[in-house]
Amino acid sequence: MCTPTRIIADIFTPFQDYVNSEQETREEIRKIMKDIEKPLREIITILQVIHHAKDIEQVHAAILNARKTFEEVRKGYDMLEKTVPPGQYYRYNDHWRFATQRLCSLAALIVFLEKGILISKDTTASILGVDNKSNIHLDLEDFLMGLLNLASELARYAVNSVTLGDYQKPLQISNFVAQLNAGFRLLNLKNDSLRKRFDALKYDVKKIEEVVYDLSIRGFGQNQAPSTSSEVTVAE
Amino acid sequence: MSKAKTRNKRSKFAVGDKAKETIENLTEDNPVLLMFKEYTRTLDEKHDRYERIVKLGRDITIESKRIIFLLHSTNADLESKRMQVVEEAEKRLKTVIDTNLKAIAFELKDQDSYQYHKAYTCGLQEFIEASTFCSYVKEEYVKDWNTMNSLLQYKTEEGEEFALVFPQVDYILGLGDFTGELMRRCLNTLGVGNVGECFKLCNFVRHINTGFLGLMAPGYKELSRKAYVLRQSLEKMELVCYNIQIRGSEIPKHMLLSVIESSDLNENDDEGFY
Repeated sequence: MCTPTRIIADIFTPFQDYVNSEQETREEIRKIMKDIEKPLREIITILQVIHHAKDIEQVHAAILNARKTFEEVRKGYDMLEKTVPPGQYYRYNDHWRFATQRLCSLAALIVFLEKGILISKDTTASILGVDNKSNIHLDLEDFLMGLLNLASELARYAVNSVTLGDYQKPLQISNFVAQLNAGFRLLNLKNDSLRKRFDALKYDVKKIEEVVYDLSIRGFGQNQAPSTSSEVTVAE
Repeated sequence: MSKAKTRNKRSKFAVGDKAKETIENLTEDNPVLLMFKEYTRTLDEKHDRYERIVKLGRDITIESKRIIFLLHSTNADLESKRMQVVEEAEKRLKTVIDTNLKAIAFELKDQDSYQYHKAYTCGLQEFIEASTFCSYVKEEYVKDWNTMNSLLQYKTEEGEEFALVFPQVDYILGLGDFTGELMRRCLNTLGVGNVGECFKLCNFVRHINTGFLGLMAPGYKELSRKAYVLRQSLEKMELVCYNIQIRGSEIPKHMLLSVIESSDLNENDDEGFY
């Protein structure tokens, strides 16, 4: 019961306490995010090698290295699991949404480089170390956003692999991204950020197609392996 | 159309051929498509739930505004009439708690409520506004967050307990809106010449304003917007009190309002009623 004189004590003081404890949690999360963003940057740097490595061994080494660095990411998410209160994932997820999206696209890139297949959401969750946790999980929209980011990276990869003399890679990428595109078309997207990001996918598709076109009209990459790489399969 | 065809024939290749070919070769059991069908289900479920909650929230907003309008009719009337109106308002508020708010709580029973918080925050705030206004009109006090929160605990028929997640910030924002109603009430009571009530209302809002000023809450943009509106309402009310004090003896009381209105104040830019 609040009469005028009790307003401060009964209403605003408890609210200030509530705000303070929320700020504390956010501060802790911010600290943990630094521990996640550091390996994130490292993985990005490590994988950039695909754009200039002539030697396939170099790429393999980079993938192994990146996989190892993901260990640190998993440690970070373990900490996050302890900090985020149960049932409040979406109260605080602004802090890790962006990093998680980036990590999803990196995990997807690794799996694509290894096997040429599209990563599944469960595999992504286990690479990031957010599976089997009660307070945090992998948000579907963050995962999908990661896949869209992957397409942009692959568009660049297609261009650069031609420069490096690999004329098969763009065909594989084209096939992969076309299927990804077909998949995204099945989704009923609302007018949100995911939708906007998806609308930009067509530019990546177009870029890749132009590379493939340039190769086709010159007859490059036609004889070596006529469309054996056409079936893209899914992990597990 | 025909032009494009001939060009295709001549050059044999075209941009996008490869993608077209891939898509044409896709079958129903393509693993990528199967995966995405699964995602579609999850995504649709989320969007549908969100929309259902938005609808429920909108109903709460409308009903709350009507209740507030009803409560405004008390200022001029007799004591018995006032209690009658308050009773009706309380009954309708109870209905909102037991139907719409319960329905939202039920939708969110096994969900992370914060994911859907945006869908019902407006309705909830409006409800807080109506509810605090009602208790103020009745007994000149407002319920604190704990009391309000305890109203939003429910049980299923099987006895399973569930509650609507009610962030304290929604309560404070609702309280901010509520001061707008007090200002309106202040002007209305002045219109009927109830001067004592004006001072009382002004004093009450002053305390709430003090509370808002003392808050340190970075990151809540809404809060500072509410505090700004609150300050304007308060200044309006303080001007009313000032005028009563200074000209109270010059003009009949029921004419004070027109004097005040003409002396300043582009009247209520607050949101209207339904």
